[in-house]
This record gives sequence, C-alpha cells and structure tokens, in this order.
Amino acid sequence: MSQSHARLATSVALVTSIVLGACSRTDDRGPDGAAGNGASTVSGTRIAAPRTGSAGEWAHPAGDYSNSRFSELDQISAANAKNLHAAWTFSTGVLRGHEGQPLVIANTMYLVTPYPNVAYALDLTQEGAPLKWKARPPNSQTAVGLACCDVVNRGAAFADGRIFYNLLDGHTVAIDAASGALLWQTRMGSLARGETMTMAPIVVKGRVIVGSSGGEMGVRGWIAALDATSGKEVWRAYNVGPDRDIKVGARFKPFYGRADTSADQGATSWPGNTWQQGGATVWGWLSYDPELNLVYHGTSNPGPWNGNQRPGDNKWSAAIIARDADTGEMVWAFQPTPHDVWDYDAVNENILVDLPIGGRTRKSLVHFDRNGFAYTMDRATGEVLVAKPFVPMNWSTGVDLATGRPALVAEKLPEEGKKKSFICPSLEGGKNQQPAAFSPTTGLFYVPTNNLCMDFEARQVAYIPGTPYIGGSAPEVAGPGGYRGEFIAWDATTGRKVWGIREPYPVWGGALATKGDVVFYGTLDGWFKAANARTGELLWKFKVGSGVVGNPITYLGPDGKQYVAVYAGIGGDMGLLIAGDVASNLPFDVRDRGSTLPDLARWTSWGGMLFVFAL
Amino acid sequence: MPRYSIGSSLGAMSLVTLVAVAALLTYGGVRATRAQEPARATRTAALPSPQAGSDLAGRFISHADHIQPGMVSPQVGFVLRNPHEGDAAAAATGAKLFIAYNCIDCHGADGTGAMGPSLADGRWHFGGTSSEIFESIYQGRPEGMPAWGALISPDQIWLLVTYLRSLEAGRDVTTENFTGKTVERSGH
Repeated sequence: MSQSHARLATSVALVTSIVLGACSRTDDRGPDGAAGNGASTVSGTRIAAPRTGSAGEWAHPAGDYSNSRFSELDQISAANAKNLHAAWTFSTGVLRGHEGQPLVIANTMYLVTPYPNVAYALDLTQEGAPLKWKARPPNSQTAVGLACCDVVNRGAAFADGRIFYNLLDGHTVAIDAASGALLWQTRMGSLARGETMTMAPIVVKGRVIVGSSGGEMGVRGWIAALDATSGKEVWRAYNVGPDRDIKVGARFKPFYGRADTSADQGATSWPGNTWQQGGATVWGWLSYDPELNLVYHGTSNPGPWNGNQRPGDNKWSAAIIARDADTGEMVWAFQPTPHDVWDYDAVNENILVDLPIGGRTRKSLVHFDRNGFAYTMDRATGEVLVAKPFVPMNWSTGVDLATGRPALVAEKLPEEGKKKSFICPSLEGGKNQQPAAFSPTTGLFYVPTNNLCMDFEARQVAYIPGTPYIGGSAPEVAGPGGYRGEFIAWDATTGRKVWGIREPYPVWGGALATKGDVVFYGTLDGWFKAANARTGELLWKFKVGSGVVGNPITYLGPDGKQYVAVYAGIGGDMGLLIAGDVASNLPFDVRDRGSTLPDLARWTSWGGMLFVFAL
Repeated sequence: MPRYSIGSSLGAMSLVTLVAVAALLTYGGVRATRAQEPARATRTAALPSPQAGSDLAGRFISHADHIQPGMVSPQVGFVLRNPHEGDAAAAATGAKLFIAYNCIDCHGADGTGAMGPSLADGRWHFGGTSSEIFESIYQGRPEGMPAWGALISPDQIWLLVTYLRSLEAGRDVTTENFTGKTVERSGH
C-alpha cells in the first residue's frame, strides 16, 4: 500500500525542526512570461474516452474511463468560485482515512466507507439527502491488521444498476443500486497470505476489474475480471511469475527490451523462486481505452524492500502494464523503476489523453510516478515520449529515452546494512495514490504532489506468511525548500511545470478539473480549495472537519445546480505518519505522535464526513 | 459460507509455511476451533506450568470473536510467570526476535506503532502484564495479530515479553500545547 505502502518501520526517531513555509504560489513561467500552454485551449488535445451519459453525473471512480477527473460542468467559474458555500454534509460514521470518492448516478449519491466498508445511497431529490439504503457486507476484522496503510477504500464502480466495490478482507461485492440488496460476494484474496483489497474497480463490457493490495506482506500481486452478473471470475493475471500466469503470449510486445524474447521473464528476472513473494499488487486506479480495448494498471513495489534479497529487474513489479480487457493478456509493460529498491512502486494512475507532441497528435498515457518522473507515453506501444522530474529528486539524473531506464546516483542507491541519507523523493513518492486531473480546455494536468525525502536503511527479512515482508526503514523529512507538498499544473507535452501552489503538508487528496476553469483539491490540514486552472490563483477555501485524503467530484443536482463533493477524513499512509496513534483507535488521544508531520495534529483530527458545496 | 477455505492452497508450500499458515488461519477458523476447546472451567483446572514449553499448546482459546472490553484477564487465578522478568540480557535478545519475526514492521521501530498498535505507550488493549502480553503473542488477537504459539517456543515468547516490558512507557501525557514554537507535551 504499499498504498502505498506504509512507512511502517519508519523509525520514528525524528528529525524535524523544519520550518513550514506558508502556503504560497509559485510561478514557473517561460522566458516570455507566458504561462506555458495554459493560456488557451490546446488544439489536438482530447480525453481518450470522454464520459458517456450525462455530464451531470459522476458514474466512474475517476469520472470517466480515461481517469481524467474532468467535468464539463461550468456553472462554477473562476469569476464566481469565491461565492461557494457548504450546502450539506453527511457523516459516514467511520473515523479512518477517507481516500476515494462518491459516485452520483440518477440523483442518487453512493458512498463506500473505510473498513468496515459500509455502502450508503443518498437520495439527492429530497431535502437533506436522506438514506435510500445502507449495506454492510460481512468483512473480517482480521483484515484491519493486515492493511499496510490504514483501512482505506478508494470507492465503488457502477454499471447496469449495480454498485461494485471491494472489501478490505479480499472480497468483491455487487449491490443492487435500487434496493441495496447484496447480489453476490466473491472471495478474491487470502488474508492468510496477507492479501487485502482497497482499490476502486472499473466495469468494462460487463466485467468488474479488480486488483489486490498487500505489497508489504510478500504477496503475489494480481488483477482479475469478474462477471458482473454472476460474480464468477473470468480471468486472473498475476504480475510476477511464469508467462502463463502473467498472461504473456504472442501479443506481448514491450517497447523496450523487445530483442529479449526469452520466456518467463516475470520469473527469471528474480533469483530462484523469490517472485512468489514478489509483490506487484494492483491497488491503484485503472483506466480503459475502448478503441484499443486495453486496460491500463500500475503494479506496486517488489517484495521485500531490501533489494539485496532479489537482484534483477524484478519484472513486472513497479511497472505500467497494458492488458487486453477481454482476456487479461499482457500487451505491453514498462518499468519506470526496474529493480525498485526505494519502494517507488508504479501504481499511480494512468491518464489517457491525446496530446500534440512533436507536431502530431499522439495517443498518450500520462503517469506521475512515485519515483518523481512524469512519463508521457504512447499508450498503444509503451514508448516513453517525455520523462521529466515533477518534484525535487536526487536518486536519478534522468531517463534515457532510448532504453526507458533511469540513470542512477550511487550514493542514493539503498544497500543492505548501509544507511543512505536524504534520498528524494521519499518512499511516499513525488505523488502517491492521490490522483491527478486533466483539463482539455487548458491542456494541463493538475497534480497533487509530495516533497519529502528519506534516509533508507535496508536489512535482511524472512518471509513469514501474513506478516510484513519489508526489510527496511525509511524515516522521512521535508524536501528541499522546507515545504512538504505542492499542487502543480503540468504540461505533459514538454514535461514542464506551469504553476504551483505550495502547501505545508503533502497534498494527499486528489484533483478535480472543470470546464469552468476551476480546479479543486483538499489538504491534510483540512482545507478544501478552489484555484484558477490557468493561473493557479487561489479562488476560495473552506476549512472542513478533518484532513482531506479523498478526491473531489462534481455533479448536477436535481435542482439544476452544480455541486462539488469531497470526503474529509484524514488517514491512509499519511494517517499513520501523522497520528502515531492510528492503532489506538482513540482519535482524541494526547500522546507522542509520528514525527514526520509532528505539528499537523494542531490542524486536524480524525474524521469521516462528506462535504458538499454549491454557489 | 466458509470464508477461509485453505485446503487447496497448501499443496506446494514448505513445512514452515504450512505451520505458519495453519497458525494464521486460526482467525478464520474460530468457530471450528472453539468447538474443539474444552470448557473454561476444565481448562482452568489443568494449569500448565510456566516452563511447560509445548505443553502450553492448545491450552488457550483462540478467541478472535469473543474478547470484550475489560476482559483482559479471563483466566482467573491463572498467572503465568515470566522466567526472564527484568533481565536486560533477555530483553536484548527479545529485541532481536522483535525484528526477526517481523514484529517491527507492524508495531514500528522500538514498538512505537505503525500498522499495529504501539507497544511502548503504556496503553494496552488486552492487558500489559507479562502474562497478558504472553497470551496476546501466543494466541493472537482479533485485528490481525497472528497466533505465534504454534510457530515459536514459549521461551522465545517470554524473551519478546521481556523486551516489550522494557520499552519506555509513560508517554501517556495529559496535555499537548500547540501555541509555542514547538509542541509541548506535559502530564504524568
């Protein structure tokens, strides 16, 4: 979870007399003073698979199959956003990390809470949005202690009158959207092996696509498709192991390393049978291109973190993978961080857009990796077109576009038994689960980022099923500049930051872009903010009840008005770091806290609320 | 509906893995396990000696689902004694076991908490006496704590207990004051 993964073992000895920079805006304008491509609508720019159906709904976890998190709604604009106010709220009854987002379909809002993963349906046609139903499928308590990074859930998917989501204990469930009835429940993972599930499914052509969590537990990661009607498993592809298991066959054509056609690279790039505990889980966001019929997903860190126990490229951990949506066959794969020894993962979302690059429109995939590079790729082939750092970094000097591989810096390369200091970004990554958004009207990506660095010390670890398989500790401090996060606008055609809003804490909530040229995001210290999509000017902010680690959505209410909704409920990996008391289950405790963000407790406490805003 | 069928997954695993999986599955097998347990009165009558080693096996209920708040000492009159209580050398060995058995990655460096609860803050969900900690390690606890009694020897559990008892407690302060340049914590 690694959701990220968990700075478990983060030896909390700490550091930090860091002075927090106040939230401040930075402007990286070009030499001519123009704010990059943000000045006008970019021709040749389009979301690969724009949403179908009503623009006023939010029917996919990321709004659409392309993971754009863009809405055509424009009632809320840069001119009037200052008039936003809280319209109504809803308590989920759970005080844990509220990653993810609600769905809105046919004037009903659907929410899924962190463990115990209660689902609620709220009737938006009635004053106060009363419940239509709530559902609480059985969910083993044991899962709580096996989740690396808080007991989060990243949301539900909807198709054909059904809500689909994953339970922390490794089940996928289907619920009747009208009645709340539990239609089926399929066991997909094994708690005994440390597998949990936290990701948001997508539904493609009547199949629910889901993946596993547990990259810190020595699991073997997979992605699978279930029949939406029956709940029966249609295919399952592991991400490490022999070709047959990972669904590598005649169609597999990676852009890099094509010359090496040797069999079973998912096993031979590991010593012995270590791939069996190789991680490479699928706990992040999925995207889908209907024209290519490809599903895109990332895979997590390899297990264990200690790379001396697994020399080799460790395919296909820390990889971006394209699979045939019908069969699960691997079509291409790319490792941003081969032999990942930093816990950089590659599980972050892949945003599918067509972009003008090098004088022509490319079917692109844009991915902001934990390793600090933003990759603009050809989504049909896996070729890297642009790879530039989007946050301060020092572990690599750049990506070789001929090979796709990063150039390493020796003193930032973790080794067993040696402490390597101030590696940037930290294992939380330049960005983690918090998804970015894309606006075709500005041509820019809006990216919540972290600015943390770490000292990494790897050590031997033994595999004991159901216990963590990590072998390292990585205490974190603020990165260069002293700020710990920044919300940035990014031009993926050139790999350039256009503007940024610096934040005192990592920006652990996702982004929303709208046609009104307003972008939204929330912060760990509990601010929900609106900014001008073209300039980065802060337009409005509201102090919600707890730190925000969730993702804003926008929808049209039955009254014809545009609403914006977001969860407030601090947690996730950052919950572990800030709270230190995450395991006490007592949010009001007074006690020593984790020292990465020692002062955050002044600004927020645990929570579990939905906030809805309107003009 | 059986939520934790295990039979088909065990074929290719090593013996060690098998043992571990069997132990870890006790959460899921609660009902079956409990049905085989003798009643509490019977158990209390057959007290194991503190040094009884493997004789301890099977003496505890694997109670994933029936521990209630306050029921930290269900074994009335049944106190296990730690043969290493207060022994610094034993605590140092326990600290190594704490890493070797991956305890550190759930409970954090120096037991200060991460995925699992802090063991160094003087607050205990299931009791903080040596015998209560022994029981927690031996038989596991509901939210994912494995039952180590089937995996490691009672003496190693006692070494872990000795280490955990040596960790600094007393961080349970009453007041956190944020108004100065640094966060001041005070209390007993």
